[in-house]
Amino acid sequence: MGSVLAASSPSPPPPPSAAGSASPGVTMPPGFGMPPVPPAAPPTGSGAGKEQRAENLLPNPGAFDECHRKCKEVFPMQMEGVRLVVNKGLSNHFQVNHSLLLSTTGDSSYRFGATFVGSKQTGPAEFFPVMVGDMDNSGSLNSQIIHQISSRIRSKVAFQTQQQKFVNWQGDAEFRGEDFTAMVTFGNPDVLAGSGIIITHYLQSITPSLALGGELVYHRRPGEEGSVLSLVGRYTASDFIATLTLGSAGAHASYYHKANEQLQVGVEFEASSRMQDTSASFGYQLDVPKANLQFKGSVDSNWVVGATLEKKLLPLPLSLVLCAFLNHQKNKFQCGFGITIG
Amino acid sequence: MSESNVKKGSLSRATEWISSIYRFATDRNDFRRNLVVNLGLFATGVWVARNLSDFDLMSPQPVT
Repeated sequence: MGSVLAASSPSPPPPPSAAGSASPGVTMPPGFGMPPVPPAAPPTGSGAGKEQRAENLLPNPGAFDECHRKCKEVFPMQMEGVRLVVNKGLSNHFQVNHSLLLSTTGDSSYRFGATFVGSKQTGPAEFFPVMVGDMDNSGSLNSQIIHQISSRIRSKVAFQTQQQKFVNWQGDAEFRGEDFTAMVTFGNPDVLAGSGIIITHYLQSITPSLALGGELVYHRRPGEEGSVLSLVGRYTASDFIATLTLGSAGAHASYYHKANEQLQVGVEFEASSRMQDTSASFGYQLDVPKANLQFKGSVDSNWVVGATLEKKLLPLPLSLVLCAFLNHQKNKFQCGFGITIG
Repeated sequence: MSESNVKKGSLSRATEWISSIYRFATDRNDFRRNLVVNLGLFATGVWVARNLSDFDLMSPQPVT
């Protein structure tokens, strides 16, 4: 069971974010992400020269999309309505899940999901290929296939449909070198219509703490084409990570700080030149393992205050989630309640 | 007479300067103003995260 649970995403899918990606029209299916790749081990050997070369080797900087992830994970996820999730592992390779969402603002829905994990092991708790899919009661499908082609190349194919119509389809390939990561993504390619999106990412370790990189998005459709370039810099220390992304579309800065084993703090700043809007957010995560409790809170410059409380009801295989968000500016309140079984 | 005119001129300039700063600080529709305010909030948040978050929740309570 461990390999299936390690590969699948246990948390509910996050709400779609219009400003989450620099590539217009291409959005990742909710709740999907690349499994972590273990860092490349430095070459071993006798001799002072080889030891010095091993010490001078820069670490792989990780994926481009993960630059801001540590800070994002500290913030609570907004949830509305009542959610019931049942996870059932049928074998070490196969798991199914049922999700029922009862909502007061939108449509209630039921989703059935399945996760298959192969037997090719590339690291501790990392097995490939990974196939994840889920379908809701209206027939809309989200699916993703991740496979490690070689020790350094990983590929992913993702599809998203709304009922019977394909909305998103994309494929990408990621190459992890000794001290760099390069990825190319093809989004919604349509050879007949001559449209599509190509995204390239590159991230290079400059020092053991500093990584610099860039993202180039090229989009084309009949009669129109354009490109967007963004640069990213990330500084990693023992207890904090500071990341800055600058581009023609705007800027995104994040600061993640691990105060101690119980407390993590995240601060974010986002500015969009297109929307002519800026925002700053402060969030924290409190872990109390003795009480099997996790609390996340946030406040931002738009006067939105939110919090989520997650508690495992041991020895039962139950997890309870309470969520509340209050928008003082618009005078709106949202609360959510969820139970996860298995 | 000329000194009082100079003083009145500098006073009116200072008043105009203060008024423009007040209008800039309170205009919520101004992108540059929002940018400066939110950058300040971000810097404050980073300072709080680095300096005010080092408390241990699991430490024993003081006995009175």
